[in-house]
Amino acid sequence: MTDRERILRVVSRILRVPIDSIGDDTSPEKVESWDSMKHMSLILALEQEFGIRFSDERIVELLNVKLIAEAVGELKAQADSDSQR
Amino acid sequence: MRLSYTEIQDELDSSELSALPPLRIAVLRNVVVEPIEPYLRYFAYRIGFSARCEFGAYDNVYQEAVAGQSGLLDADTDCLLVFLKLENLSWDLARRFAALSAERIRQETQRVKDIAAEIAAGIRRQTAAMIVWNGFELPVHPSLGILDYQRSEGETAVVEHLNAFLRDMLAGHKSAYLLDVNACLARVGARHFYDLRYWHLARAPYSLEALEEIGGEIFKYIRALKGRSRKCLVLDCDNVLWGGIVGEDGLAGIRLGQSHPGSPFREFQQEVLNLHSRGVVLALCSKNNEADVWEVFDRHPDMLLRREHIAAARINWSDKVSGLTQIAEELELGLDSLVFVDDSPLEADMVRQHLPQVTVVELPEGRAVENREILSSGGWFDTLSLSQEDRQRGAMYRAEAARREMREQSRDLGSYYGSLEMVLEIRVADELAIPRVAQLTQKTNQFSLTTRRYGDADIARFGASPRADVVHVRLKDRFGDSGITGVCILEYEGGRARIDTFLLSCRVLGRGVEDALLVHCMRRAKQRGCRVAVGEYRPTAKNAQVKEFYPRRGFRSVASGEGTERFELDLTTFDAGEPPHFHRIDVQFPTVALAGAGEG
Repeated sequence: MTDRERILRVVSRILRVPIDSIGDDTSPEKVESWDSMKHMSLILALEQEFGIRFSDERIVELLNVKLIAEAVGELKAQADSDSQR
Repeated sequence: MRLSYTEIQDELDSSELSALPPLRIAVLRNVVVEPIEPYLRYFAYRIGFSARCEFGAYDNVYQEAVAGQSGLLDADTDCLLVFLKLENLSWDLARRFAALSAERIRQETQRVKDIAAEIAAGIRRQTAAMIVWNGFELPVHPSLGILDYQRSEGETAVVEHLNAFLRDMLAGHKSAYLLDVNACLARVGARHFYDLRYWHLARAPYSLEALEEIGGEIFKYIRALKGRSRKCLVLDCDNVLWGGIVGEDGLAGIRLGQSHPGSPFREFQQEVLNLHSRGVVLALCSKNNEADVWEVFDRHPDMLLRREHIAAARINWSDKVSGLTQIAEELELGLDSLVFVDDSPLEADMVRQHLPQVTVVELPEGRAVENREILSSGGWFDTLSLSQEDRQRGAMYRAEAARREMREQSRDLGSYYGSLEMVLEIRVADELAIPRVAQLTQKTNQFSLTTRRYGDADIARFGASPRADVVHVRLKDRFGDSGITGVCILEYEGGRARIDTFLLSCRVLGRGVEDALLVHCMRRAKQRGCRVAVGEYRPTAKNAQVKEFYPRRGFRSVASGEGTERFELDLTTFDAGEPPHFHRIDVQFPTVALAGAGEG
């Protein structure tokens, strides 16, 4: 599974929406179940899935799938370069 | 295997939950704990329930509990969770302790206690559901630093004091328990237990790891509440009780002892014994030559487990599925009472496939050091109370197994009975025996002529009556004491002895106890001046085996109607003797005042 597929799977399960309905612009405005409580579950589940940790300031900005994917990518790249050092 | 948060959601979504019985969980809280919900639903699903969780409004515990402002609590609620975090209850105690005067600490402590007590009482006014109350977390870095722990009124001491108060206060309510959140905190570790980002973003203090741990702890209570606790631990031998394979490595070659590499196995055995003293029945199911295993039990100097701890064993080369099935049958336990421990992934998998009711614990290869922890962390055997009978359960099962073995070896029933060296004690119930006698009337279904259910007060009333006797029988043999296992209640009126109740626990069936009890009760009735004994048979769904009990013993059928059959025995010609196979029958009845006895 690619990172993108893993992200979509987590978003789909936590928000309980079909995986093929999710795109880059999927956001709290467009998905009814995506409230602040679900946002927390989503962030925590993504962190668990990828073994990463968003900062509190970043968490509040991650308000669509594109932003989430970028943040996951960044943190994973950072973790990889950390482990190579 | 541990599932991730997403996998749990997946598993719940793809399971047929609607077929399972419902479990209603209500949550009162002053912090955000919503992410615990999938864990609760998942743990419920694992023990066969479909859980629904309802959360009270944020920080509205007092209003909901005391003023009853919620539709949360009602008769259908199974379990009520309380999450009261000290930070949101008393900022002073939780976060500015160093600045407080001794007087202020006392005031604030008292205020917290009062609120907690009012909340518990308020909940109980609304529902009888089990309450599981999350205790207060000990400070990780107390505000007085290293000095704090030296003080009897330091921050740590105050939280400990509050938790002790909660425990006692909850013990004053029925079915209310304090969850040891500090044990959860210690297992996970404070660095992983709290999520400081979400504490500030949403007043959600706990990490997923913490919520999973707390959820697991909560379900130890729910499992016990719902009667899903396990009763019997079935153990493989090689690489479980000791390291190595006894058939190959030999008695001297296996790893078991006080030091590495034998010490993890010794510690594991000690934990098995701890479960045994809590009433868990122990059994062996292993592929070995039986003699090899018993040789280790009998001769290895570092074995903590002994033969006498084992209630049943299947040590042979048959498959474990049939071994476990036979063990369950022999011990008269359901398969859903068993926990099976094995180190072989193959065996474990086979049992999981064929006997899904059995809890299978697969010990990981090459990590024997963790085995003890794995066994003690499961909570499969946890109960909400521990009676004297629980503590002795292992011994009773073992005695039964020994009797069965002797019976198989005996040539005939008579010599079997003789070899048991059975001693009966027949007595009139005193105060101490009342609860057990009442319990027998409530629990006995098969060998029970009238199946009248009585409480302690009813039995006490019979006992106090000058015109009645509550007679009980206790059976001991060379394998153990079965305790009080038979009851006969006699009521005397106008020269007639009415046998109100005659029953025998299924634990002692087939050993002639009923004949000894009846003979002595009839002699007692005669002694009380009765000329006729009257017995009844009230049929139920389960007591067909005693339908012919009275006629086979010389009673004459006199009437039957509405299902109940009545029998009479002429006591003036009654001369039946004791059954011969008892080693001794010890009868002690209080003397009857001759005047007027039985004449009323």
